[in-house]
Amino acid sequence: MSLMGSSVAELFSAIDKLRAELLNNVEVLTDCQRVEGEISHGEILSLIENVILGIVTSLSKDEAPFLALPDRSNWANISFDSAIGLRMTLGSSVTTIRSDCPSSVTKFAQILKIFVVIYKLVQSNSYATKRFFVVNSHFEKITKLATSKGLISGDLCYMEEDGTRIDCRSCSAAAAVSSNIAGIRNIVSHAKFIMIVEKDATFQRLLDDDFCTKLSPCIMITGKGVPDVNSRLMVRKLWDTLHIPILALVDADPHGIEIMCIYKYGSVSMSFEAHSLTVPSVMWLGLLPSDLQRLRVPEDVLIPLTKRDESKLSSLLKRPYLASQPEWQKEMELMQQSKVKAEIQSLAAIAPDFLTNIYLPNKLRYGGWV
Amino acid sequence: MLREIQQVLRFVQLLGKRRQQSGLNVKGGLLVLVWTETGPSVQSLNCAVAAAGPWCIGINMKALQPDLKECMFPCACPCLPPDPEELCAFTDLYGSLRLLLTFQMKDASPEWCARIETFLHTYSLANAKIKIHFKFKFSQQTFQRDFSVKIKNKAGGNQRSLILDVTCRTQPPECVKKGCWCQGGHPVLGDRLPLSIPPAAMDQGLFGELSIQAVTLLSPCVLQYPNLPTQLTHIQVLVYGPSNVPVTGPSTFFQNLPAHLDCQEVGLHGLHCSSFKDLVHSGGTVYTVEQENCEDPEQESSPAPIRQSLLLYIFLQHSDPFTYQLSDMMATEVLIERHLEDILNNNKQAVTKAVQTELKNTLKAQNQRKKKMRSAAEVILGSSLSIVSSSSNMDFRNACLHSMKMSDTYDLSASLRESLRRVTSWKFTPKNICYSAQVEEYPESDEPTRTEI
Repeated sequence: MSLMGSSVAELFSAIDKLRAELLNNVEVLTDCQRVEGEISHGEILSLIENVILGIVTSLSKDEAPFLALPDRSNWANISFDSAIGLRMTLGSSVTTIRSDCPSSVTKFAQILKIFVVIYKLVQSNSYATKRFFVVNSHFEKITKLATSKGLISGDLCYMEEDGTRIDCRSCSAAAAVSSNIAGIRNIVSHAKFIMIVEKDATFQRLLDDDFCTKLSPCIMITGKGVPDVNSRLMVRKLWDTLHIPILALVDADPHGIEIMCIYKYGSVSMSFEAHSLTVPSVMWLGLLPSDLQRLRVPEDVLIPLTKRDESKLSSLLKRPYLASQPEWQKEMELMQQSKVKAEIQSLAAIAPDFLTNIYLPNKLRYGGWV
Repeated sequence: MLREIQQVLRFVQLLGKRRQQSGLNVKGGLLVLVWTETGPSVQSLNCAVAAAGPWCIGINMKALQPDLKECMFPCACPCLPPDPEELCAFTDLYGSLRLLLTFQMKDASPEWCARIETFLHTYSLANAKIKIHFKFKFSQQTFQRDFSVKIKNKAGGNQRSLILDVTCRTQPPECVKKGCWCQGGHPVLGDRLPLSIPPAAMDQGLFGELSIQAVTLLSPCVLQYPNLPTQLTHIQVLVYGPSNVPVTGPSTFFQNLPAHLDCQEVGLHGLHCSSFKDLVHSGGTVYTVEQENCEDPEQESSPAPIRQSLLLYIFLQHSDPFTYQLSDMMATEVLIERHLEDILNNNKQAVTKAVQTELKNTLKAQNQRKKKMRSAAEVILGSSLSIVSSSSNMDFRNACLHSMKMSDTYDLSASLRESLRRVTSWKFTPKNICYSAQVEEYPESDEPTRTEI
């Protein structure tokens, strides 16, 4: 089937229909709602000063200071909100970091050091590229940046905070996801959909096959495996700005499904920032376990599930958000029963260009997502 | 005289080994009586060594061959038997005597008291199940000491089971609460190091496999106070023969060892061998640890660091399938001791490296903890003060100063530093392995009951 022979309207009719449904059903955070969630520079300084005063007060009473942080790795502090995804609720589980214990004193000192840096940054109203800080949730709202690993390509132009103009329409090379997502302005795109690609290898393959031109207008983005915060922020930003369907292309294995869930529902460790990181409207485009049967993917490219895969799959099926995704549950149960997994590259066993020229176009044309 | 006592102990220990008795359950008593006897022209020193209890079961004095006795005491003269009352008191405690050997030496001197006491103390440290009773009567005066170990700890690999005296003899600090001070120690078993036998020793008949096994013991134990500053002041090296009997006499090799150790790698400022006088009375070789000059008055710790000493046991091990007669085994031990300097020098590099490694491993964990706490404290204080100093919030600044009752950030810095040191230093973390006990008063000591010399 020739892509050029089909009209654009036919190609994207299912996509457009999906978009209409999404705009009707999904809550969209307005700008003013987002602004309400932010705190001022003065409040941040005050919060840090309160921590320091607490330390000084402890010492004045001859007590060893300690910090109490919500336990970000404990599911007891997590709840599921269908509009947002996994979010942190301040439950009873806290981690105590003591200053008088050899096993925690280094962490205590590191946190204070980070506070100093944040304090100075906020005071000077500047930002710097740093590794992501693991601190109390309030302090995530100050401007700090992490180096990104994600890539983006397609029908998209925008301007970064320092005025740099980014044009992602280059056919041969992708642009790196910006380090300062919050500073992005003037987003211009006619894309009909955004495709999240799990792996860099697949992303590069699609780039080489000129996917974005063939299925233009569209955007594709990869976080190169488990996405970093900036990649997730970018996906969220594009959703908030463009309100177009976001479709995930991941391997048909538990790891791929988990990565897709991170984009859609968030992670336990970043649950305190869920509302700016998750996109609950993400749809699973492929590779579906049912695709393997339907397309009769050769058995020699199918891989048996390991014990670890089975354990992860069971764990995924118990996640709170799966209850609202019966189609996903069916696909995962199918994988459980068949006890096999497959990478996206396995489609090359059918035909070398199967992914770009047959699989994806048909999926997009006929609404083959769940 | 020490040699004779050494021989008796070797005899009993080797006999026990031959009977394949495990050292674990072997306990008993050892009596060493020394008294003077004035002869026609010179004062002689008489010595009686008696043993009783399970550790010498199987010894039949009557069956002891005269030539074996000759082998044990080739230079000693026979002497009168000791006071039966002394022996009675001993047998009342341990049962009938299994071994009683007496000998006499010319040239009595009161200095022998201290030397024998030191030797017996050193023996007791590595043979903690044997209770030792020592009595020295010189002219009209009597010195008496009983060595009874309070806290024992097993340390041993496959080849050898060692029961060490790990009793801590340091008074706990006054501020330590009841039940919060470890009264023992935790020996650390090092690696076994094979040694090559030098040709001169082989010519004398020393064959087989020779090796050393190191064990270190740091005292007092401060595992339950991981933040407490400590200061290592002394290292004592004790060498034992294959029968666990201490090797006598100063060792030139160990005296010179500090010059070849990389003190920096071990985490020490420097080491030097203590004076000869200290050597004689302390047993083994003692090193004094040089202390770092404290340039920064703020670094002078409050609380004062806990002074620690490290005991380094060097156990010689020997096996030779062709040596199985008791007399041969005893002769081999004598040979090893006689050629010890030669053996150690023949393996100088390996032994030096082994000692270096043992010291480093023993001190590493403690040094790392101290370094971590120190550097973390600097960051905590620096960060807190940085925020206080750079804040434009007068309420916050005043609250901090008022809290610590300080007038400016300079004084606040010193006050916070002192306070942080105070609250973290005495952090108590109970450990199951420690011998914590009530610290109402210092426990019963096995210090000598001295009637003055």
